[in-house]
Amino acid sequence: MEGKAKKITKKVVLYVVLIILAIVWIVPIFTLIATAVKSKADFYSGTSLFSFPDTIAWSNFTKAITEGRLLTYMKNDLIVSCLKVPIGIFVEALAAFALTRLNVKHRTGLFIFFLIGMMLPMQTALVPINVIFSKLNLLNTYFGLFYVYVGFGISFGILILRGFFKSIPKDIDEAAFIDGCTKWQLFYRIILPVAKPAIATLVITDFLSTWNEYLLASVIINDNNMKTVPVGIMTFVGEHGTDYGYLCAGVLIAVIPVLIVYLIFQRHFVEGMGGAIKS
Amino acid sequence: MLPAAIIYLSVIVVPVFYSLFISLFKWNGIGEKTFVGLDNYISLFKSDTVFHTAIINNLIWIVLTIFVTMTISLAFAVILNKKFRGRTFFRGFFYFPCVIAPIAVAIIWRWIYNPNTGFINQFFRLIGVEFSQTWISDPEVSIYAVFIAALWQAIGQPMILFLAGLQAVSPDVLEAATIDGAGGVKKFFYITVPLLKDTFVIVIATLIVAAMKVYDVVQGLTGGGPNNATQMLSTYMYSQVFQYNNVGYGTAVACVMVIIMLVVIVPYVSFTARED
Repeated sequence: MEGKAKKITKKVVLYVVLIILAIVWIVPIFTLIATAVKSKADFYSGTSLFSFPDTIAWSNFTKAITEGRLLTYMKNDLIVSCLKVPIGIFVEALAAFALTRLNVKHRTGLFIFFLIGMMLPMQTALVPINVIFSKLNLLNTYFGLFYVYVGFGISFGILILRGFFKSIPKDIDEAAFIDGCTKWQLFYRIILPVAKPAIATLVITDFLSTWNEYLLASVIINDNNMKTVPVGIMTFVGEHGTDYGYLCAGVLIAVIPVLIVYLIFQRHFVEGMGGAIKS
Repeated sequence: MLPAAIIYLSVIVVPVFYSLFISLFKWNGIGEKTFVGLDNYISLFKSDTVFHTAIINNLIWIVLTIFVTMTISLAFAVILNKKFRGRTFFRGFFYFPCVIAPIAVAIIWRWIYNPNTGFINQFFRLIGVEFSQTWISDPEVSIYAVFIAALWQAIGQPMILFLAGLQAVSPDVLEAATIDGAGGVKKFFYITVPLLKDTFVIVIATLIVAAMKVYDVVQGLTGGGPNNATQMLSTYMYSQVFQYNNVGYGTAVACVMVIIMLVVIVPYVSFTARED
């Protein structure tokens, strides 16, 4: 009996701790929503954040979409992300396949070579890319942004996929070759489908980092019609620095697409991330 | 492998060497480059106090992430590794800030820190405490205020890594320890932590790298101010190159970042590739 009571107390403590943490953690989200639904006039009183607004200020949202060009930013971001994620993963998977399955010389050396990119700060690429892209007329283009993002994603993608590919038994290869599979078929028909959890992880991390990337986008893009969401939101700040209701509405709308992707792929996440550790 | 290699070479490898080259010149980005040798580096280390602040801030950031971010994310992972109802929900919940753009996080927190109508100062007023801080515009505390904002978002990633690591810790081993009379704390430090060695390596490495690279959240919250108090190498590099057009000088800052990173990269890479 005593053991059972102890267990229950433990459970209660666990939930209390979790709920307190959750309340602390939700403060920014609460602030975001509580601000987005209020008009400027609601902000005069000193504790206005905690009071209900008389009317929900939908105008913040409509203004963010129309004046804030938010839909344009989201469209641009979506185009770049939808190009970058599948093509990037395909390129990374080919490389990881070569590193684990083909008889490539200096595999470890090549892997280390690719891994180093993960550590290098983007700052080193800013000026050279700016110079090269302006010569090639790639500034303010989807392709320019897409190409750079693929480059910066390669290291992490190879790290995750190589780790996962290595855990697939080599016996499968031999069985496939006996059945008359070519190397390409082995890659396409067997390895890729088996690696689904790792690929799901990459889809979500890649999509998030592409959708949210700010530094490179701010250097490569300065045309208002080509801006991605993070750069666009910073433009908001520049134009309406004090109108927080409007700003928060914009941020809230911009978060929705990532939230959808996150909810769809969440299940695969913990499992797939294991690849980074197993390597 | 060829496509990956080509893209990687053109986006990462070539620019790094090109940056090293540019950093040896005095250049405004448009006109003629003047070769100055290592002068950019010499003046950075000898006389540039903002650069010194930036390096110190990056070091503070590294120490804070290792001690604060890692400890909290490990604690979260341990709690969320227990079996209870709603576990999946809480995991998703605490990871959620990670999916928001860091620049958006910066904007939200700028609002939270607002001295008049921000959440924190309003909250104190609500519970009747007369306390008001300017947070990010106070040079004494601004770096820590920015760190708290970053922390809210930063625990998700290491937490997931720790969770993945914890799942690999076999319950049998812990059971055996319980039979031998080991308490919860003892079990954690003598069994779980050593078994998480690989996880710790990857978490520490990624945290240090992230701390060296930190940019968005600082740029969005303070832009390196007030009076350069929150200047990081990354923000300083950006302002030198894109605001003051000291392209060569700013690129030298980027190269210093690379050199500092190498200190992390070499041990990490040799650890990751050790089994081959």
